[in-house]
Amino acid sequence: MNNNWMRRQQLLGYIFIGPSMLGVLLFFLIPAAYSFGLMFTNYKFMNPKVEFVGLDNIVRLLQDPMFYLSLKNTLLFLLAVPVSIGLGFVVAVVLNQKIYLKKLLRGLYFMPYITSGVAVAFVWMLLFHPKQGPINGLLRSIGFDNPPGWLSTTTSSMFAIDIIWIWFLLGYNMIIYMAALQEVSPELLEAAKMDGAKRGQILRRIIWPLVSPTTFLLLITGLIMTIKTFGIIQAITQGGPGNSTTILSLFVYQNAFRYYDMGYASTISWALFIVILLITLVQWIGQKRWVHY
Amino acid sequence: MRRKRLFTSMVSLVLIMGLLAGCSGNGNNGSSGNAPKPGEPSPSTSTGEPVKLKMWGGVPPESGPQEVINAWNKEHPDIQVEYVRFVNDDEGNLKLDTAMMTGQNVDLFINYTISQAGKRMESGLAADLSQFTDYNIDEKMGQDAKSWQIDGKYYGIPTTKSPFFVALNKDALDAAGLKVPKDWTWDELREYAKKLKSGDGYSFIQHTEPFVDPIDSILSQEGYTKPDGSSNLDHSQVKNWLEMLNVMMKEDQTTPPLGEQLTSKMPVEQEFLSGKVPMLNIGAWLLRSSNNFTDFPRDFKIAFAPVPRLTGSADEYVTRGGLGDYISINAKSKNQAAAWEFLKWYADGGMAPMAAGGRLPASKDADQDAALKSLLGDKSSTYDLDSLMYVMFDSKTPTYVRSLAQEVMDIRAQEYEKYFLGTSSVDDTIAAMVTRHNEYLKQNK
Repeated sequence: MNNNWMRRQQLLGYIFIGPSMLGVLLFFLIPAAYSFGLMFTNYKFMNPKVEFVGLDNIVRLLQDPMFYLSLKNTLLFLLAVPVSIGLGFVVAVVLNQKIYLKKLLRGLYFMPYITSGVAVAFVWMLLFHPKQGPINGLLRSIGFDNPPGWLSTTTSSMFAIDIIWIWFLLGYNMIIYMAALQEVSPELLEAAKMDGAKRGQILRRIIWPLVSPTTFLLLITGLIMTIKTFGIIQAITQGGPGNSTTILSLFVYQNAFRYYDMGYASTISWALFIVILLITLVQWIGQKRWVHY
Repeated sequence: MRRKRLFTSMVSLVLIMGLLAGCSGNGNNGSSGNAPKPGEPSPSTSTGEPVKLKMWGGVPPESGPQEVINAWNKEHPDIQVEYVRFVNDDEGNLKLDTAMMTGQNVDLFINYTISQAGKRMESGLAADLSQFTDYNIDEKMGQDAKSWQIDGKYYGIPTTKSPFFVALNKDALDAAGLKVPKDWTWDELREYAKKLKSGDGYSFIQHTEPFVDPIDSILSQEGYTKPDGSSNLDHSQVKNWLEMLNVMMKEDQTTPPLGEQLTSKMPVEQEFLSGKVPMLNIGAWLLRSSNNFTDFPRDFKIAFAPVPRLTGSADEYVTRGGLGDYISINAKSKNQAAAWEFLKWYADGGMAPMAAGGRLPASKDADQDAALKSLLGDKSSTYDLDSLMYVMFDSKTPTYVRSLAQEVMDIRAQEYEKYFLGTSSVDDTIAAMVTRHNEYLKQNK
């Protein structure tokens, strides 16, 4: 009887996860396996001639300067994540105190995260306009004669995108940190104060280690989300000017849906997967040194 | 217990069915562009079931296509055409290609570049029109049609005249004492730009689509590759073009630096039509905006000049343009005969309402006066008709159609952007173009 009941419970469990597993299977696992297969073919969308080409695509990828360039751009883009986490922490600590208009400020910081990406893109394009944009207008009025070209030069464009991305992620990081700060026990802070610790010391030695699991979570999810992002860059620069903002995900998109080169695009997406995997592994191993549970 | 099991299996069944229904529901939504159109006569007027055709094009329905098919549907109750718009960009063309690959009903479709038409031909999606013998494309459309042949055959009919030109603010030219040129070089254009420049503003802007045409004008004749099969992008005129434009951007400051134009997504039509910039390098689609006084109010007359040439001799010059809107019949369509009937009618003048958007019929049998009337509407006094007639009809300059692969166009654009932005020297830029082009040629032997 008991055994029977167990089995029924198990069956019930499978039935409950069934629908979502079906979704994962249909929309993720099968396409992923399919793209793995495509990696070894020269399949071009619409072209009926498909041949098995062995490792040609991988060799081509490793010799393609565009691949290394987009890898470099991706790493530059990822810089935005730690910066945004740091700023998010600072903002959360400030807003966690008794200050005026706390709720309004909290809402304002969170706004970007819930705003449509395309709208965000267009607003920033106007702000960054090298001649008529308000940012450069301000810089000129306080004495910078040659303000940066932001999105309009190949050297600054990736950093301009970084700024947008930091601003975009900030609200989310802040909200998660605020929740984490609520968990920090007041006794510890009081005890530290009694022992004569200064504000900076409390922040660095007590609060920061205590929220480190949150930092770790934000870092991993932030990096993965950022590395997969492509909408905002597609909307703002389409990888330009030149190819200075072509990140890996955009490189995949261009090869797949602009050139219809599905075999090569699959190869790049698996390279992208390996990059994500490596970054996550490094963090997972590294966390032992600085994350305190 | 038994009832409970029945219940759970029922629940899971319902969930799975819901999921499947959800999927198929999405599929249906994706393919449905078929909301009933106003003005379509009811099929009951005809005997039997009418043939239904779907035509995919990139022009918004209200800019002509709807009027065209309404006229056809009224006359032909047995063949009812429906127009589906796709946006003519990467996503839009992908949507069209996917629709055709998955066998959704696409009967006719418009190609805007020959490389796209070529891809569709290779995939067996564009029907070979030589199977229809009652319409001589060469004879109807003239010599320019030849550049749309793929492997010596027509897989579509090029239906419109598609001139490219420099639109001029006639009032500004008159004020500066400049004539409307009928044949000029880029050096002369540069002088015009200098004379027309006032204050901080620009005097010459270019739509990004014909931006690189001066190079194509030469390479389409001399070949994108050298006789030995390597890239010809190091042709001396490429360097000439790069340096000439660079001087206009940096020294003369008569044309916007490319970086500024790209990242601010400069609305060139608006800049020109508002009177801010007196010269604009563009094509026939300008008429769609310049006839629209509601969104683009304008108080000056527009004159037209041919696109200038880089080389010295006018005899050797070939300009972009000729014909456009290459309409193909889907080789997988079940209604090819009906589609062919419609296509002939469309090309021979049925398309007249499209002229309001700058699309003049190319066929010699079309009523050009009616089309011209529709092109200018009640705005004919705001155009300089002499120069308009010259660039649209009278110019005898031979034409070419750009047939370069998208990959190579992108390679070129990425490298020349770096040059115009000052991060790469002219020689490095050309070297990089050549290296990447050769790499592409190796990949796509």
